[in-house]
Amino acid sequence: MRKARKEYEEKGLDLVPIMNLVTILIPFLLMSAQFVTLAVIDTTLPAISSEAQPVDPEDKDEDKLNLSILITSEGYTLTGADEVLPKDDEENGPNVPCLENGCPTAESYDYAALTKKLVTVKNRWPDEQNAILVPETKVPYEVVVLTMDASRNDPEDVDQDTNKARDLFPFVVIAAGVN
Amino acid sequence: MARSKTRRMKGNEELNITSMMDMMTIILVFLLKSYSTDDITVQGNDDLQLPVSSSLMPPKLAVNVIVSQRQILVDGEPVLMLEEALDEKTQQMVPRIPEDAKRGPKILELYDKMVAKAEQAKRLGEKSRSEEFDFKGQVLLQCDKRLPWEIVRDVMFTAGQAQFGEFRFVVIKNSG
Repeated sequence: MRKARKEYEEKGLDLVPIMNLVTILIPFLLMSAQFVTLAVIDTTLPAISSEAQPVDPEDKDEDKLNLSILITSEGYTLTGADEVLPKDDEENGPNVPCLENGCPTAESYDYAALTKKLVTVKNRWPDEQNAILVPETKVPYEVVVLTMDASRNDPEDVDQDTNKARDLFPFVVIAAGVN
Repeated sequence: MARSKTRRMKGNEELNITSMMDMMTIILVFLLKSYSTDDITVQGNDDLQLPVSSSLMPPKLAVNVIVSQRQILVDGEPVLMLEEALDEKTQQMVPRIPEDAKRGPKILELYDKMVAKAEQAKRLGEKSRSEEFDFKGQVLLQCDKRLPWEIVRDVMFTAGQAQFGEFRFVVIKNSG
């Protein structure tokens, strides 16, 4: 009778080994936990190499748009295909000025207006995929990345079926900056 | 004897670890969720703030070049310290590459390092005889978002001279 009672009292799940295991697991998982997800943006070599680069014959194609986005301390300037970018309905022509004069911060560049302008370009040259980025030397790196974002796709024009934004100019080539 | 012991135990209660177990289980699930085995890791600090982007392309393993506000590192090894200079226009201190460390836009020490990396990668590619390890000239570029473009451009130019032609800017994925 007494023995049975003792057994009953000692029953109950012994959690200590599990605790040991979990305490060891937590630092290990904390080490490999990732709280920010990373991504990459693909670009190709700037065309400022002094060594001869093999020239792709397709690059010489006269019909190509060769869209260039110049990033300066005044804003953006778009050029391409011998200055035939649509200018008609916009008062600034191929320019996208900064929201603030002199572009003091990365936020003062008008990314939304650039995307809008690029949509009109894309409508005229629907097959074109490449954009050449020409940033000025003093432009912060963040602006270059945000410009690539703005020229990649149009967040306003999302396909209902695939839930993907319409591609504008996803392939970026970076050219030598202007001084 | 046995009886008196149990009575004492009941008196000054044993440590109740059930609630702690609950907490640990929740933490464990949360950490397992954020567990990742990505090819690249980023040590976040004040000198290296990556820009945020809407790009969705996942990172792949390649030669890792880090340009922070203070130095340039290749695969974790410091290559060159940057110096600070006063920008006349904004009257702020901005990092720049020391003049004597480069010839034209080419950063000499970085160039030597990148050539060594390229040769190493090519040897590995030849020995492995598999396409996966072939030298493709890819560079993962982690740059601080406040750096002036000319530093990034010079780093890209130097890597380009050392036969690296494909650049991947590492960015933080925009969750919103």
